[in-house]
Amino acid sequence: MISISRDFAPPFKLIAPYFVIGVLFYLISSLFMFSLDISEMMSYFEFKIVGLVHLYLLGFVMMIIFGAMAQLIPVVLERGHFSVDFYYIIYPILSVGTLLMAFGFLYSNIVLSFGGIFVLIAMSIFAFETLLTIKGIEKFNTTIVSVLISNIFLWIGVIVGFIMALTFAGMITSNVVLLLKAHIYLVVGGYIFITIIAFSYVLLPMFGLAHGFSKRPLDFSIMSQSIGVVCVFFSSLIESNLIAKIGYLLSLISIFSYFYLVYLINKKRARKQNDMYIISLLISFVSFVLAVIFGVLYVASFEEKFAILSGWFLFVGFFGFMIFGHLYKIVPFLVWYEKFSPFVGKKKVPMLADMVPNRSANLQIFFTSCGLFVESIAIFYKIEFLHTLGVICLCVGAFIMFYNLMFMINYN
Amino acid sequence: MYSKEEIFKAISTVIDPEVGFNLVDLGLIYDAKCNENGDIEVVMTLSTKACPLHQMILQWVEEAVLRELKDVKSVKINLVWEPQWNISMASDDVKSKLGAI
Repeated sequence: MISISRDFAPPFKLIAPYFVIGVLFYLISSLFMFSLDISEMMSYFEFKIVGLVHLYLLGFVMMIIFGAMAQLIPVVLERGHFSVDFYYIIYPILSVGTLLMAFGFLYSNIVLSFGGIFVLIAMSIFAFETLLTIKGIEKFNTTIVSVLISNIFLWIGVIVGFIMALTFAGMITSNVVLLLKAHIYLVVGGYIFITIIAFSYVLLPMFGLAHGFSKRPLDFSIMSQSIGVVCVFFSSLIESNLIAKIGYLLSLISIFSYFYLVYLINKKRARKQNDMYIISLLISFVSFVLAVIFGVLYVASFEEKFAILSGWFLFVGFFGFMIFGHLYKIVPFLVWYEKFSPFVGKKKVPMLADMVPNRSANLQIFFTSCGLFVESIAIFYKIEFLHTLGVICLCVGAFIMFYNLMFMINYN
Repeated sequence: MYSKEEIFKAISTVIDPEVGFNLVDLGLIYDAKCNENGDIEVVMTLSTKACPLHQMILQWVEEAVLRELKDVKSVKINLVWEPQWNISMASDDVKSKLGAI
């Protein structure tokens, strides 16, 4: 019998800061967009954009993923953390590193390298804690292998990023354009996407009560994405376009396999109600399809706006809504576990669904979706007015998200 | 001493907080029996091996049986993964409310 003991579950006071800080960074990132005009939005080599992307991906996406991992790693690996106490130091270091990096991109390349050191330390602690937790596992399955591979990619990706930061600071010399491709692919494709694939396989059926679907698309997706990331990484080192293209093709195959997996799970889903989780995931997957379409258009045409739109839908749409959906599931569970589970059978306790502020959650999804799509039109047609409108919607959505998070955390 | 129905009724006081249904209606309780000494054995499963409430649900079942059936001496829970749970094992009411039928 495999059991998840109570000891495996980290205390909520450890996880809560990741979610609160993560959503605060999301709010700051949204507000930061007011400082950009539409022409600045159109170039991914613009330092303001790069600063914003790091603020968003490190401060929001990675912060929330790390917090979720504190809870989910024991669930997936079916064993306790090597030392969960490491999580007490990851979020402060990552927060400082993110702020320094964002500041560095805007004002000072030297500060950028200091930010890089902090981020490298935070990521290294996270990756090695996870690897030490995996060490000693006797029976590996695809999900565990995915956690292992994705953490290795993360660590290498952050090192590549750090080399770039040192280059910007003038301390060393390197080909930043080539490294950029490897950095993005290792962190976004190698860590974030592989993590999403692997955890989708565990979480989607768990929340949807789905059983009896094939696992083969998961294996295929993880394998092709992993090889794809390795190809793109090496193509950067040896400057080979052919290997890079093979890598992109493998990633595309991985994405199709992932969609097929999600389709199979959805087909077998017994729980058909469309709650905040399902609505968020739906928007997330639609965004992902759009990101892929714009990505393919970019490769075919090399028009920069397609690359921007692909990144926009991938980061804000796919990652963002994937995170919102899971926050509406994970946070009530953690709060319930901490505050109410000791009273089961002794007094009336709320259901998890009762702890989600449905009305304001709907508002948050509405405003954020409006922001996502209005901004995409603004980017496509370069319309300043729509850009401002889109950012206003995103900011309103971000404020409501913060309110919702605090509502769930303080639920009594 | 206690019938299977009485034990199931006791366990039906345990609600899964995620889906909002009791474990019996969800079809997670496969069997239950009580011997002459008041020792109860419950055969049950969970909807997923990855359930983060795994250990707690087993504890709640044990507590519910001890709480609801006063003459019980001990409760042993036999957690099994075969047959694997699926929605067809749930009651029609649960299926209907989940939208499965």
